[in-house]
Amino acid sequence: MTPRLALAGVTFTHPGADRAALRGVSLELTAGEIAMVAGAAGAGASTLLLVATGLAPRLVGGTLAGSRTIGARRCGIVFARPWTQLTGLCSTVEDEVAFGPASLGRPLAEVRAAASHAIRQLGIAHLAGRDPAHLSGGELQRVVVAAILALGPELLALDDPAAELDPAAADALYALLPSLAADGMTILIATPDVERAARVATRALVLEQGTVVADGRPADVLPVTEVGSLARAAGCPPPYPLDVPALLARIAPDAGGRAHDSSDAPPAGSGPDTGAIAR
Amino acid sequence: MSGWDLRIEDVRYAYAEVEALRGVSLAIRSGESVALVGKNGAGKTTLTRLLVALIRPAAGHVAVGDWDVALRRPDEMARRIGYVFQHADQQLFARSVREDVAFGTRRLGRHGPVDAVLEELSLASYADVHPYDVPAPLRKLVALAGVLAMEPGVFVLDEPTAGLDRSQRELVVAALRRRSALGVTVLAVSHDLGFVAETAERVLVMESGRLAADRPAREFLYDAGALAALSLRPPATAEIGRVLKLPDAPIRSEEVAAAMRGVRWKQNPE
Repeated sequence: MTPRLALAGVTFTHPGADRAALRGVSLELTAGEIAMVAGAAGAGASTLLLVATGLAPRLVGGTLAGSRTIGARRCGIVFARPWTQLTGLCSTVEDEVAFGPASLGRPLAEVRAAASHAIRQLGIAHLAGRDPAHLSGGELQRVVVAAILALGPELLALDDPAAELDPAAADALYALLPSLAADGMTILIATPDVERAARVATRALVLEQGTVVADGRPADVLPVTEVGSLARAAGCPPPYPLDVPALLARIAPDAGGRAHDSSDAPPAGSGPDTGAIAR
Repeated sequence: MSGWDLRIEDVRYAYAEVEALRGVSLAIRSGESVALVGKNGAGKTTLTRLLVALIRPAAGHVAVGDWDVALRRPDEMARRIGYVFQHADQQLFARSVREDVAFGTRRLGRHGPVDAVLEELSLASYADVHPYDVPAPLRKLVALAGVLAMEPGVFVLDEPTAGLDRSQRELVVAALRRRSALGVTVLAVSHDLGFVAETAERVLVMESGRLAADRPAREFLYDAGALAALSLRPPATAEIGRVLKLPDAPIRSEEVAAAMRGVRWKQNPE
């Protein structure tokens, strides 16, 4: 199978920058993979998305060295700041989402079908008739994701796609990704929201100063999360758990033989259970 | 540095086609640290913009201390309220991070602690860099640094941790806790209940332009039913506290870690 993306020893420098944003990056992404990119601000995650989708250097300038092969027939990218991605030409959300496929010259019926499918996927049917200029940041972010999905990308790059979303909308967006990947889409996510991304990612890349320093299963390669840091402070030995269920699973049964395992934890957001706090 | 109280009385506001605030009343005491939560489009940002006179209510009354906000311009409000926009790019314009951070305090005719604030937010190495050459998440910290240097009595912050990683988020939490300890009033719009747990003592919930709940943070974050009704999930600290039945409903990470000291850990994950 041809990889959707193949980078070999890629170094990229932004225009006017005195040091490279990516250095010697090599990786291959295939159909159906969900790869998350973790790293501190400035580590190069956003730049990797621009390079992976072909926007750098073509659109943003700069210089690229090494070998890059984009096997995906179409790439889509969602930026962290959704208003930068609006066409500014459409007065309804429906038209905004239809703009991409329409600009590819597809038949009208196909354009409408692609737009309404994407609108349903993102759960924004109630916004279809609204003016994008009057939406909140979170509403707009879902509109932009729908607009990119309507283009039918084979490689989808998401730059902190839930930054503007409330937790339920963020969970819904991440929950959509495995089904897109199951249909063959390759997804590359850069986000500081490591816990949420790690729930769906099949692979994690850790960047430090433009270099990939780790590449593997999320649980094996990701840095210590907030829950991990709490566990460490509470005396848990490494490796530190990534999330709450993993932390609870690390607790040994107490003297009475009772284990605080994750089966104690109901699914997130389930019914009220507020009387259980010992005081 | 001492805080101001905030009073909002029966305030209404509409954008062209949408009624964003439908009669909201609330009061925040001087020195309180309050989180404003709610779904996208609930009216949270609109409410904060009224406080700094960026928009004017169609009806109702807004006051900051003894100032009637209706009689004040946004630049006057900056003397009392430090406002950090949801999108920091909207408030950065100087040629270097240091100049940007110094701008507000200089406009107030003061010499605020610019370098100390840059240190506090780990921005010292970016002091001479153009704000737009700073990585996007750090621009948010630059905007926050600008208002910290102004030393206002009130901070109004719109999604101060969105896009930040764990270490940057910890810097914001620590900076706000220090200001709270000095008696500064903090109102933060946030979807990040982990951040809310670490900083807020009280939570206001907005729903469709109305104030739907007003509760102590500790009680609200342990109320899985109320959170679920708002499509919110408890922060990790409260989730751990609830499942392990930790005493005193801890919500801050150091409280939870301390309450877990007696726990026996398995050496390796299974």
